[in-house]
Amino acid sequence: MKRSLAAGLLALLALPAFAEEAVWAPSTFTLDNGMEVVVIPDHRAPVVTHMVWYKVGAADEAPGKSGIAHLFEHVMFKQTKNIGPEEFTSIVQRSGGQLNAFTSWDYTAYFERVAKPQLGKMMELEAERMVNLIINDDPGGPFISERDVVKEERRQRIDNNPGVILQEKVLSEFWKGHPYEITVIGRMEEVAALTPQDGLDFYKQYYSPGNAILVVAGDVTPDEVRTLAEQHYGAIAPTGTVTAGRKWQPVTPLAETQLMTHADPKVRQPGWTRYYTGYSQRRQPADALALEVGLEILGGGMTSRLYQSLVEQQQLAISANAFAWTTLHDEGPAVLSASPAPGVTLDALETALMAEVEKVLAEGFTEKEVVRARNKLAADAIYGRDSQSGMANAFGAWLAIGGTVEEILAYPDTVRAITPEQAIAAVRAVFGSEKHYIEAHLVPAEGYL
Amino acid sequence: MRTTQFLLASVALSALTGCSTISGWLGGAPQAPVAGTLVEASKPGLAVTVHDGEFAEIQQFVTPGGVSVWLVSEPSIPIVAVQMAWKAGSASDPAAAEGLSELVTYSMNEGAGGLDSLGFQTAMEDLNMSFSCAAGAEWTSCSISSLTDNAPAAMALAATAFAAPRFDEGPFERFLREESVGLKTRETNSGYLAWRATTQALYPDHPFARETTEESLASLTPDKARAHMRTLMTRDRLIVTAVGAVSPEQLAPLIDQVAAGLPDTSTIAPVAPADLTKAPVAKVIVDLPQPQSLVRFIGPGIDRNSPDFFPAFVLNYTVGGGGFESRLMKTLRVAKGLTYGISTSLDPNPSLLTWSGGGQTKNESAGEFITGVKDEMKAFAASGVTEPELADAKAYLIGSYPLGFDSNAKIAGQMMSVRQENLGVDYFDRRNKLIEAVTIEDVNRVAGTYLDPDRFSFIIVGQPEGIEMPALAGSPAP
Repeated sequence: MKRSLAAGLLALLALPAFAEEAVWAPSTFTLDNGMEVVVIPDHRAPVVTHMVWYKVGAADEAPGKSGIAHLFEHVMFKQTKNIGPEEFTSIVQRSGGQLNAFTSWDYTAYFERVAKPQLGKMMELEAERMVNLIINDDPGGPFISERDVVKEERRQRIDNNPGVILQEKVLSEFWKGHPYEITVIGRMEEVAALTPQDGLDFYKQYYSPGNAILVVAGDVTPDEVRTLAEQHYGAIAPTGTVTAGRKWQPVTPLAETQLMTHADPKVRQPGWTRYYTGYSQRRQPADALALEVGLEILGGGMTSRLYQSLVEQQQLAISANAFAWTTLHDEGPAVLSASPAPGVTLDALETALMAEVEKVLAEGFTEKEVVRARNKLAADAIYGRDSQSGMANAFGAWLAIGGTVEEILAYPDTVRAITPEQAIAAVRAVFGSEKHYIEAHLVPAEGYL
Repeated sequence: MRTTQFLLASVALSALTGCSTISGWLGGAPQAPVAGTLVEASKPGLAVTVHDGEFAEIQQFVTPGGVSVWLVSEPSIPIVAVQMAWKAGSASDPAAAEGLSELVTYSMNEGAGGLDSLGFQTAMEDLNMSFSCAAGAEWTSCSISSLTDNAPAAMALAATAFAAPRFDEGPFERFLREESVGLKTRETNSGYLAWRATTQALYPDHPFARETTEESLASLTPDKARAHMRTLMTRDRLIVTAVGAVSPEQLAPLIDQVAAGLPDTSTIAPVAPADLTKAPVAKVIVDLPQPQSLVRFIGPGIDRNSPDFFPAFVLNYTVGGGGFESRLMKTLRVAKGLTYGISTSLDPNPSLLTWSGGGQTKNESAGEFITGVKDEMKAFAASGVTEPELADAKAYLIGSYPLGFDSNAKIAGQMMSVRQENLGVDYFDRRNKLIEAVTIEDVNRVAGTYLDPDRFSFIIVGQPEGIEMPALAGSPAP
């Protein structure tokens, strides 16, 4: 963060902080081939975050091919027509860059973080693998070893962890029949059967500039990005294969209540969780934000109703939370969860927790609580601006599911406009006593505690 | 590259003792000051030394109250982040009182003055601020973040926590309930089990091997915490870094307000270093029922002042620090598909110098994984690295360095590390030159000295196959 003019001077009067506020102006445009571009200027340091988001994810996988979106993301680092095996990473890191990628149900994103002069080279590399990927089909070759890597990744993320094993089962039931039913990394037996041809088919169908969003955050101007993007991505012709549209669909509200229990020898502390059908910020924007405000009050932190009642006053729990997954394209779960204090049964914990929820449903929130909660959500958005890569992620993820830059910029005002009536209405609509839910108990295996 | 034009004022000039020259400033139209809620220190003459470095313009000053502060003024986002640290942490807990410094830091935002826990937490939310403290083995630290508009009120609230902390019974008992659960859950936490096996095998009597127990927790009281806080947090050992939309003159009185309630000094015995070069090399398996084995390996490390340090730092990139560019990743992940990830790192903490690494693999391949690690170490010890490997390592380590300075939080953290390790305010500017100067002879000498696999202990947690070793007696009884 070198400042070429300000050598050795002191800021004696108030800094022009708010004069610079107005300059923070993320912008967006579209290339002729349909590739969307978002530019998020941040001139604090001479570095950039360069991301390409594809509007394809695990939700788009064909039956029996779970895990292909994620395994394919790994394969994108392997080899292209003009980049040798495993050279992609070497070139980026040799350029002083950091790189990675991630896959969700809704999107797949690739990124490089580099010093600003390297931005053009990063675009050249991403453009190359958008069109010239080579998938080696040697039955003992790199696709197969990468498949083994993903199996290890699944063991590390899910199968080692009793709480995650239970959550995978619950979410599969929660989204039964919906494209989110299978976890992003895929079922072990289906991943084990994926082939190089599956990867190639997936690539040809979904990887095209018209299905991609370019996000550049950092020490750039929109004009600089436009010039480079037109040079590197502008000449790529759309494949015309992305015609089916997304498989998104409204999530059917839970039609029955059920209990799912997972007992495991590694569990030393039981856990209690309930999953209700919630909202999505894409499908029900007003309700979803009202729910976020309501859940902040109900179970967001130490001052929340659940924490104060269960942890502080009754001392039945060591933690108690309420939160919702509202940032997927389709509806996600709204969750109540708690961890019992020593000697407290899950039944006793549940009775006390639901009594507090019912009290809220009956009495609503105070104006003061709502003001505090919505101010916190708005302030979080300001604190979030400190992270260049976090900003690139926030814009990319929202645009990839069909949102707009304007909606993100308006978020603090939108959230501050939520009324106590809206907040309680959203909480009542999700957690009302007539609503069905999946209750999950994580318990020690017989004889292990 | 944005250029921030600071306002020029005569008082500032008279106070300038900076190492940067004022002649470097070419002028530019001064901007009109924007009214804010922050007020300037009324006392003139705060002496600020400005280090206009390549990566950060660091303003160093000592507050009128005697606190040493490093500040980077960053006006583009209306937030202020302050980090405070004191050398002394959990390794200095009194005998049989493990958990005491953790209780102190846990309690710091749990009530002060007229505010109980809920009152204090609510006040923080009303200000959209955060304030919390944590105890490491050798450092106790606190951080305060606020929106610029609220900075004076946020710092005033934090000040009450240092001047009149309550250490109420309610939060104290909650701490004990949480710790009681923590004692149970750690029994099946693979990372904890690996750490514990390492400490017991290599430095069982060192303070870094201490951990909370039912007995040590039972010995804690709020009064002990109140007294120990005054030992941990004193004005003479306080160091502060800050980044945000604030000037030295604005920040100094706020820091003084925060530190006003602290005692001037206290007595803390320094931690003696643990010497891994004299520890026996261990092989330990800890049984844990799960599909993967966690493999950790650890050997003696290198002091920053040693001529071997920077060669080792560069070498570590090619060994296991460089992600996909490291040989361990290329072999164990890319070629063999044995793991999602493996990495290594050097810890230059003089109290416990280590070179360590680890990864996870399915139980069936644990033996193959360990053999693979050892084979790579042997190859490094015997033949070192190639010229292209060294060039790639330097190119990444130097080229990526600016990425660590692109947010206020990162800059505050980087400055705190430099202060804690006494690296000097010009360290950021010297660091890349130290890397550039490393030669292949240096690197290969260091590889030969340090990477012999027989210098490393291997700790395996899981139900590994293909390893000929008896399971550790006394492993956690499921």
